[in-house]
Amino acid sequence: MTAPTPTTDAESALKESGHGDGPRPQSTGEKILRRTGRAIIVAFWVMVVAFMLIRLSPGDPVTAALGGDAAPETVEALRKTLGLDVDPLTQFWQYFTGLFQGDLGASLISGIPVTEMLRTNLPVTLWLILTTVVMTLVISIPLAMFIALARIPGLPYVFRTLTAIGLALPSFLVALILLYQFGLVWGIAPIFGYDPTFPANMQYLWLPALVNCVVLVPVLSRVLYSSILDTLDEEFVETGVIRGVRSFRFFWFYVLRPSLAPTVVLLSYMMGVMVGSTVILEIIFALPGIGRELVTAVTMRDYPVVQGIILVFGILVVFLSLLGDIVASILDPRVKLT
Amino acid sequence: MTLVGAGTADWFDVEGTVPTPKKARRLKDGTVGLVVGLVMLILLLIMGLLVPLLSPYTIEQSIDMPFLPPSSTFWFGTDGLGRDVFLRVFDAVYLDLGVALLGVMIPFAIGTIVGIGLAVGRSKVLNAIVGSIIDGINAFPLLVLAIALIALLGPGLQSVVIALSLTNWARYARLARTRAMVVKQQGYIEAAQTLGYSKPRILFKHLVPNVSSETTAYALSDLILVILLIAGLSFLGLGAQPPTAEWGAMISDGRPTFQIAWWPVIFPGLALCWAGVSLSFIAEGLTRRERDVKS
Repeated sequence: MTAPTPTTDAESALKESGHGDGPRPQSTGEKILRRTGRAIIVAFWVMVVAFMLIRLSPGDPVTAALGGDAAPETVEALRKTLGLDVDPLTQFWQYFTGLFQGDLGASLISGIPVTEMLRTNLPVTLWLILTTVVMTLVISIPLAMFIALARIPGLPYVFRTLTAIGLALPSFLVALILLYQFGLVWGIAPIFGYDPTFPANMQYLWLPALVNCVVLVPVLSRVLYSSILDTLDEEFVETGVIRGVRSFRFFWFYVLRPSLAPTVVLLSYMMGVMVGSTVILEIIFALPGIGRELVTAVTMRDYPVVQGIILVFGILVVFLSLLGDIVASILDPRVKLT
Repeated sequence: MTLVGAGTADWFDVEGTVPTPKKARRLKDGTVGLVVGLVMLILLLIMGLLVPLLSPYTIEQSIDMPFLPPSSTFWFGTDGLGRDVFLRVFDAVYLDLGVALLGVMIPFAIGTIVGIGLAVGRSKVLNAIVGSIIDGINAFPLLVLAIALIALLGPGLQSVVIALSLTNWARYARLARTRAMVVKQQGYIEAAQTLGYSKPRILFKHLVPNVSSETTAYALSDLILVILLIAGLSFLGLGAQPPTAEWGAMISDGRPTFQIAWWPVIFPGLALCWAGVSLSFIAEGLTRRERDVKS
């Protein structure tokens, strides 16, 4: 990933806007650079956690995989295959260098390299995430705009109640009901299968993505709604009204764009929850993604696969949060990135 | 009830003559939600206590009539093994909520201690290392880490609690550390120091209560997430094991036969939603009341 260089444009805009009156105003580019640096450090620690998980947690992976009554020779052999027969520091070095050579180990069951599994399964998960994010934004933005601007008495109250309910709904139950209704009763969604090519895969992804929206839309539309209310209080909106700025320009530049930033920051924060719920959805909708692979590996006690996949999940969340924060700081230069 | 926050966009009211309502005796914002949530929760807890006590069956007992639809004798019908769904749903109340409470309280305690320790402690190296591990753990989706740990610990509710304790503390630790950093700078801490109070006294009487008030607010919303997480793990077959009556496990149990019998899936699902929604209303009510007091 190439980090954008700081532009003088952004700097001068920040100075003129008068919002950067902190101790030392940072340009958007500088902020993005710092945030990227932090993401790389976090990614390193994600690797460390994925490494330690197998080695430091209670329970021994080898006896867990083989069962308590395995012959000592078998145990020793597996220990060697997993690289657990050397001291932890050497292990970490082997693991670390292996990562950069694209080596995540191989499945204990099938012997297929983990990277090979990722090549076929990761795109499915990525598509599901992308579809979910797009759908969430497409639903949340008009919804929040409408409720904030329509000023229908009682509507915000109903909206708040509904989002409080939506927040507490288990996605797997919603998935089961929708799959039954859409897939079996109405027959408008396939109940299993997947097609890896682009327009065709949407047929399989729209329903799981819609269910995933149940997790995200209540939170996001709520934040966007209150953020729009805050924006409407700002003086520049008043100025816009006085100057007679109309329709699209008013809604996008004056109201929506400044309100979107907190929403995008939250979206990047929610990525963990969302990526977690894709695991369950992949199982219910029988999508061949890495979440389903993870659960299979867990039930088979296939450690190299478990370790490899959780590492990918961790890095994925780090990357998606970074992306979200960058988008937020481009949308609104006032956003502070930590 | 003020629907749109007071003072919002007054330019929209062209007349501009909307009189500010007198501060008459009125219910605080969010009181209704809080009461509704509490009533829902108490109802669930009472049912969870009474139904297993009064039921003529036990959760594992089969009445040899599988898939009986809901009727006046079996309000929620019977499942594939002929067990009374009504009894099983309410028998699970204390298990589900109890495990979730444990799964929140242990990380809460560990996280608060670690977070305050990091904010107060002087060792920069330790601070950096523990801080980075916290960031590393928090980067993972909680569900994914829990699944991975259960791979090592073996499936079961006990493993779920251990997995939650090992992972979820990092979220509380981050929150507690940030909060403790702020509290440390406050005037009352300085005042206490000037008065010559001992360090433990300042720590336990001033710092800890002020930090934990913040983490407690988070814990309530976390409880909803953890309830869903535990049910989700059980649904995947990694949490509660049969024949334990647990909502997620019951939903998973009834899933293959959902087409012929919806009741073994929908009723545990409704109970799960009911528990989540009641807590969500309580959390929402509390936050709104607090905001109302402040404004």
